[in-house]
Amino acid sequence: MSEIISRESLRTMAQDWLQQGGRVFGPVRMESDLVLYSPVSDPQQLLLDGWIRPANSIKLAVLPRHEKLYEYRLKGREVELTPVDLPTAPQLVLGARPCDAGALPILDHVFNWDYRDEPYNARRQATTVVTIACQGHDNHCFCTSLGLGPDASTGSDAMLVDLGDGTYEVRLFSEKGQRLFAGKTQTSQATGQVPSGPENILDLDAIHRFLSGGFESSRWTSIALRCLGCASCAYHCPTCHCFDMVDTGGLYGGAKVRNWDACQFGIFTMHASGHNPRSTQAQRQRQRIYHKFHIYKEKFNHWLCTGCGNCTRNCPVSLGIRPVLESIQKDFQ
Amino acid sequence: MSNVYTPDLMEVLEVRRQTADVKSVRLRFRDEAKQRDFSFRVGQFGMFSLFGQGECTFNLCSSSNWKDFIEFCFRRTGKVTEGLWAIDKNDTIGFRGPYGNSYPVEKWAGKNLIFIGGGIAMPPIRCAIWYALENREEFGDITIVYGARTVGDLVYRNELERWTRYDRVRVVSCVDPGGETADWKGEVGFVPDVVKRAQISADNSVALVVGPPVMIKFTLPVLGQMGMADRDIYTSLENRMKCGIGKCGRCNCGPIYVCKEGPVFTMEQLKRLPNDY
Repeated sequence: MSEIISRESLRTMAQDWLQQGGRVFGPVRMESDLVLYSPVSDPQQLLLDGWIRPANSIKLAVLPRHEKLYEYRLKGREVELTPVDLPTAPQLVLGARPCDAGALPILDHVFNWDYRDEPYNARRQATTVVTIACQGHDNHCFCTSLGLGPDASTGSDAMLVDLGDGTYEVRLFSEKGQRLFAGKTQTSQATGQVPSGPENILDLDAIHRFLSGGFESSRWTSIALRCLGCASCAYHCPTCHCFDMVDTGGLYGGAKVRNWDACQFGIFTMHASGHNPRSTQAQRQRQRIYHKFHIYKEKFNHWLCTGCGNCTRNCPVSLGIRPVLESIQKDFQ
Repeated sequence: MSNVYTPDLMEVLEVRRQTADVKSVRLRFRDEAKQRDFSFRVGQFGMFSLFGQGECTFNLCSSSNWKDFIEFCFRRTGKVTEGLWAIDKNDTIGFRGPYGNSYPVEKWAGKNLIFIGGGIAMPPIRCAIWYALENREEFGDITIVYGARTVGDLVYRNELERWTRYDRVRVVSCVDPGGETADWKGEVGFVPDVVKRAQISADNSVALVVGPPVMIKFTLPVLGQMGMADRDIYTSLENRMKCGIGKCGRCNCGPIYVCKEGPVFTMEQLKRLPNDY
């Protein structure tokens, strides 16, 4: 026995959400070979199957690429600050992958240790995440190595499993999910089938042990030789969350905004004196791997990765987490 | 509702030119209640906003005993500090903080204090010097070694003289060879050599060493030869920061976020960290 819903009912659900003033995010075909998560104004834009995973991630729903933190107005020698309203508008993410949803509980840690990041938390609380279980994977996927999988529930409020006939089995994981689907599903005998996903190929504990002593290893130089330093990996990653804060505006006023930033850029860590702790690309690649598989683990007991493979899929030179970790693992087994 | 990134507004009380490219600024919260309730510990830092230009990280270089104002010091070197160079009395600056850990002054009670600084690194030492002088009976002998490239590059030069008037305080100021003037009465030489020549006793002492990496690198062996243990040598790191509260992801040395678990470290702690600073 299961609860099911039709694709058309899902679109109606999204339409209702939009009409009540909420925002809806989901996979949208931007070009013939490019699917991205995007805010939608028309539920017909939602593309609920026919792709492995979008090239970006749903972190844009909780940590926008560009976000105003407050406004300032210069009045002679005085300054007037205007707070920005907390983003509390209800948000529905419809059609995320489990490797996107799985990033959210991981990110909760860094945005709440000691100091609470109010804009992040407001968006997170206002967001309901509906995932679609994966019916396939490509050579870049490695979610099972991170303890996730094609129907992993972590971070999802509800999950849809494609029944192949225009309907989905609905699995509910939270109160938000129950509220969303209440009264909208039918009981059915059908249950969805989900493949086992990519092979579990990484021994992350062994990689963590290597990293514990591998900071000065010459391998970082050889890994980074072909890296272009473009930070595409970080921008497409569901868990990369580093940001910059800048003033934008003119002579009389403007706003403090935060923008996505990335550890792959040289200026990211450059001191005012010109000294740079990470002046080479090798040091910057090393930082990215350490942040994900050592630092975050030590601090919050989570890997800062969901195995989505977006870093490699979108890398101009086919680097990314999986190839780097596989090469480390191969040499140290 | 304001968020954790929104600064408090402060009024500029006074700007003092310290050197050709360094100024110190005294600030007071525009909100009187904020000024009354504000407290910090020496060694902590703040994020200072010049609206329209950006935000910078500076040590609070005033003593935590001073209740009427806080002070920071900057070198004219980038976009924000270029803008700060033009500020004047009554202007407005944004402040977030205090952030980070601090000098463990309670642990230093009863000890002899050795302060060693170079160039623009005087401000993060100055707050601790004033704190120690104002609580003079809690500490033993105080030795201050401060050097700059030239006489004109000494920050808080007028205070070096004032500090010598306190009981059991020795001030050794120095400039790099070639940086002296005809009337210079201090030492000539690099900080590590001057520390060696000064014959400072390491007995029952803690040292606070802040300066450019090259100064620290060559001063540490001298302190070692004097018999100082790594756990008694403190420094303050100054990695680039944006948020100051452990989120933006750039100031870490391995698993340590300098903004939250620093900026103050002992050499014993630093030697356990990866070389990422």
